[in-house]
Amino acid sequence: MINTFYGLGKLVTAPTPATFLAALLIGLAFGFALEYAGFSSSKKLAGIFYFRDMTVLRVMFTAMITAMLGLSLLAALGWIDLGSQIYLLPTVYGAQIVGGLIFGVGFALSGWCPGTGIVGLALGKLDALVFLVGVTMGAVLFNETYGWTAGLRTEPQELFAFGLQRSTFALLLTLVGIVAFHLAEWAERIAAGGGRYLHSTLLRGLSVVLAIVAVIVFVLPSGPQATEFATAAEASSASPALMRDQQLLLQEVASAADHMDPPELADALMRGDKDLLVIDVRPADEYEANHLPGAVNVQLPGLIDYLASSGHTGRIVLYSNGMTHPAQARDALVRLGYRNVYLLTDGLRGFLDQCLMPASLRSYPLSDGEAQRVRQWRSFFAAEEVPAPVGSSTEKLASDAAAAAEQASSDQAVTIAENDAPRLVSTRWLSEHLQDPDLRIIDCRTHADYTQGHLPGAVYLNFESIRGSVNGIPSVLLPGDLLVQQLSLLGVRPDDMVVLDPGENVRDATLVSMMLQRVGHARWGIMHGGFPKWSGEGRRVEATIPTVARTDYPLPPRGDVFTVDAQHIAQRLGDGKTVLLDTRPTENFTGEESSEMRPGHIPGAVNRAFKRDLDAAGNLKPAAELAAEYQQLIPSLETPVIVYCRTGHQASLTYFVLHEMLGYQDVRWYDGSWSDWAARSDLPAVTGDQ
Amino acid sequence: MRDSVETPRLPAAQEPRPYGNPYVAGLLLGAALLASFLVLGAGLGASSTPIRCGAWIESLVVPGRTQQSTYFGDKYLADGSNPLRYYLTYMSLGVLLGGLLSGVLGRRVKVTVERGAKYPAARRLVLALIGGVLIGYASALASGCTSGQALTGGALLANGSIVFMLSVFGAGYATAYFVRKQWHD
Repeated sequence: MINTFYGLGKLVTAPTPATFLAALLIGLAFGFALEYAGFSSSKKLAGIFYFRDMTVLRVMFTAMITAMLGLSLLAALGWIDLGSQIYLLPTVYGAQIVGGLIFGVGFALSGWCPGTGIVGLALGKLDALVFLVGVTMGAVLFNETYGWTAGLRTEPQELFAFGLQRSTFALLLTLVGIVAFHLAEWAERIAAGGGRYLHSTLLRGLSVVLAIVAVIVFVLPSGPQATEFATAAEASSASPALMRDQQLLLQEVASAADHMDPPELADALMRGDKDLLVIDVRPADEYEANHLPGAVNVQLPGLIDYLASSGHTGRIVLYSNGMTHPAQARDALVRLGYRNVYLLTDGLRGFLDQCLMPASLRSYPLSDGEAQRVRQWRSFFAAEEVPAPVGSSTEKLASDAAAAAEQASSDQAVTIAENDAPRLVSTRWLSEHLQDPDLRIIDCRTHADYTQGHLPGAVYLNFESIRGSVNGIPSVLLPGDLLVQQLSLLGVRPDDMVVLDPGENVRDATLVSMMLQRVGHARWGIMHGGFPKWSGEGRRVEATIPTVARTDYPLPPRGDVFTVDAQHIAQRLGDGKTVLLDTRPTENFTGEESSEMRPGHIPGAVNRAFKRDLDAAGNLKPAAELAAEYQQLIPSLETPVIVYCRTGHQASLTYFVLHEMLGYQDVRWYDGSWSDWAARSDLPAVTGDQ
Repeated sequence: MRDSVETPRLPAAQEPRPYGNPYVAGLLLGAALLASFLVLGAGLGASSTPIRCGAWIESLVVPGRTQQSTYFGDKYLADGSNPLRYYLTYMSLGVLLGGLLSGVLGRRVKVTVERGAKYPAARRLVLALIGGVLIGYASALASGCTSGQALTGGALLANGSIVFMLSVFGAGYATAYFVRKQWHD
C-alpha cells in the first residue's frame, strides 16, 4: 500500500521539509514538461483557439489520460486507496462553471494560464510577468468582492465520472482522447497545413498502448471489490477466535452499539463524566477553529500511539465533521482489542443539528422539556469555549448552528414561537447568507446614516415609529395590530429570517426586536458589531433603495406575555422572589438626576445600568462574561425578573441579554418604565442607594 | 515552431532548438502528475502561488483588513500563518526552475514581449494584464486553474473539474476571435 503525504496528514496539516522537497522536484518535472511542449510561448498556447496549433489539446489529454490510467490501474491492483490517500477534488458546479467561463476569457486574452505563465516568466517573457501580476491582482479583487460570489459557493459535493463506473468512464475518456488527437491533427492540417503527426508511428503506438491499458483497467475488478475478494479468501482460513471477534464487531455495527448520540454525549460532558475521553480526529486547523469542550486533537495516523500511551480505560468517543473516518478508525481499534470506543452519531454536524441548533430554527416542534434541554446545552457549550479574537465563540457556535439550520430547514416554515434563536448573528454569517430569499435586513440606524450607505437590501426603520401613546401612557411599544402593518410595509413575511442592523446603539435594535417578539416572529437576530463592524471589514455596502413588495403579515392570535404594567409590579413588590432590575444610569436611580415627576426608583429595585452590558466600543460583551455578572444579581435561571428604565428603551437591551442570550426564562419588560411609574402618585418611590 | 526561426538567420550555435514532441511532453507531464498523486497525494497546482502572493501582499499593505477578510483571512492567514508556507509554493519554484532548465537546453531563453509582428507591445501587455486579472479572479473562485482543476481533476474524473475545463475552452473559443490580431505577423 502506498502512503502519500496527504494520507499521512503531512501535506497541508503538518508539512515536513520532505513535503516541500518532493513538491519542488515534482514541480521541476512539471515545469520541464510544460516548456518542452512549447508552453513557454503564449502564441503557441493561444494557437488552440484558432485551430492553428493544437499542442495544448495533445499535451493535456495525453497527460490526463496517462495519469488517470496509471492511478486507476494502481487502485485496481490494490496498491493505493484513492479514498484515504488522494485529495479528491470536490465539485461545486456554480463556482466551477462561472470560474471556468471567466478563466476561458482570460486565457484567450492573455494567452497564458498560471502554470505556463510561470514557465514563460522563466524564459524571459515580459507578457508572462505582467500576466502573473494580473493574476495576483485578480486574487485580491476576488478577496475584496467575496460576497458577490456567495451564491455560487454551494456545499461541495463528491461527484465523479458522472454517475458511471470509474473504469467505464476512464475507457470512454481514453477513446475520446484518441479520437481527439486524430481530429486535432486533421484540423491543424486543414487550418494551417500542420498536423504532421497524423499518420506517425508515435501517435499510432500511443493510441494502441493507451487503449490497451484502458481496457485492462476496465476488465480488472475495481479497488473495493479487489479488497473484498482478499478478505473473503482470508476469512475462510481465519482462526475461530478472529472470526468471533469480527462477528462481534459486525453485530455492534448493525445494532449501532458503537454509536453515541449527540444528546448523550452533551449530557455526559455537562455532567463532567470522568471516564470519558473525547477525541477530535479532524485536522489541527479545524480543531483550533472550534471543538467540543475537553476534546483532545489526535489525527488518525497518531491515534494508536496516543491511546497506547494514554492508557485510558473508560469510554473513548471519536468524532469528526461526519462519521466516515471515525468509523474506520473504530474498526481498526476494535481489531486491536479496544472494546471501549464509540463514534459520535453524525459527527460534529449532528451535534450542531441536534444539540446546538436553537429550537426556533428547527423544522419540527419540540416539547417544552426538549426545548429546555436545548437551552441548557446551548448555554453550556456556547459559554464553555474561550472567546476567539474576532467575535466571541458563542457567536461562532451560534452562527454555525444557524448555518446548519439554514441548510436543514431551507424554506420550511418555522411555525413555533420559541424565545431562543441565534440572536447574535456574525457579519460573516450574514455576508454568506445575503442571497437567501428569506433574509430581510432592517436597518435601525438614523435616516442620515441609512441614506449614506447600508447593508445590501436593508430596509430602514425608525425605531420611534413603533412607539406611541397607548391608553394615555406616552411612548410605549404599539399594539400588535399596528406593528404587523409596519412589518407588512417593510416586506417581512412571518417565516423570514430578520436581521437587525443596530448601528452604534445596540438598544435601538433590541427595541425593534421587542416588536418582532410581540407579533410572535420566530426567526430573527441582531448583527453583532453592527454597521461599523460590517463596513470596517470592507464588506459590501450600498446606498440604493431596495425593492420591497408589501406583504400581509398576519395578526398574532394573542398579545405578548412579556410586557407588564405598573399594576403587575405593584402586586409583586416585596414578594421576596421577583428581582426588579433598574437599568438606568446610577444618578437617575438614586434620584440625583431626574426629568420625571418624581426622582428615584421603585422600592426594592436593583440598579444595573444597561451600559455595563456593553464593552468600550458599545458592543455586547461575551455571553460568558455577562452570565458571570448576572449570576451575582439573579439567583437562578428560573427566578422571575422584571426590567425597567425610563421609557423601556434601555431595558429592552437588558431583556435581550437576560432572555435571549443568557437563557433566563421568566423575564418581563415594564415598557412604561419610570416615566409611567413616577407619574402615578399612588405608587411608592424611594431615592438613594438601596 | 520552425517558421518562427527563419528570419533573421542566427549562427547555428545560438539558434533556438524546436520544441519537443507534444505526445512525449504529454507523457512526461502525465508522469509528473502521477508522481504527484502517488507521493504528495494531490495533483499539480499553479494558481495557488500567485493567489497566495496576493494574500501575502495585501496582508503587508492593509494587515487588519486582510486578516478579517473572509477569503484571505480565513483561508490563508488563519492563526497568523504565512500564506506562502505551502507545498504548492515549492512546486511553483520547481516549475520556474524546470522551465528554465528546458529553456536553457533548448536555447530559448530571451527577454521579449511575445506577440504578432505588427501588434504594439503595450497593447499586448494590456491584454496580458486584463487576462491575468480575470484568471486570478476565476482561479480563486473555482479553486484552481488549468493545472489544479482541469488537468488534476480531469485525471480524477471529478465532475466539477471536467465541467470547468469545458467552460474554459467554451469561453476561450468565444473570445479568441476578438483578440486574434495580437498574434498576426
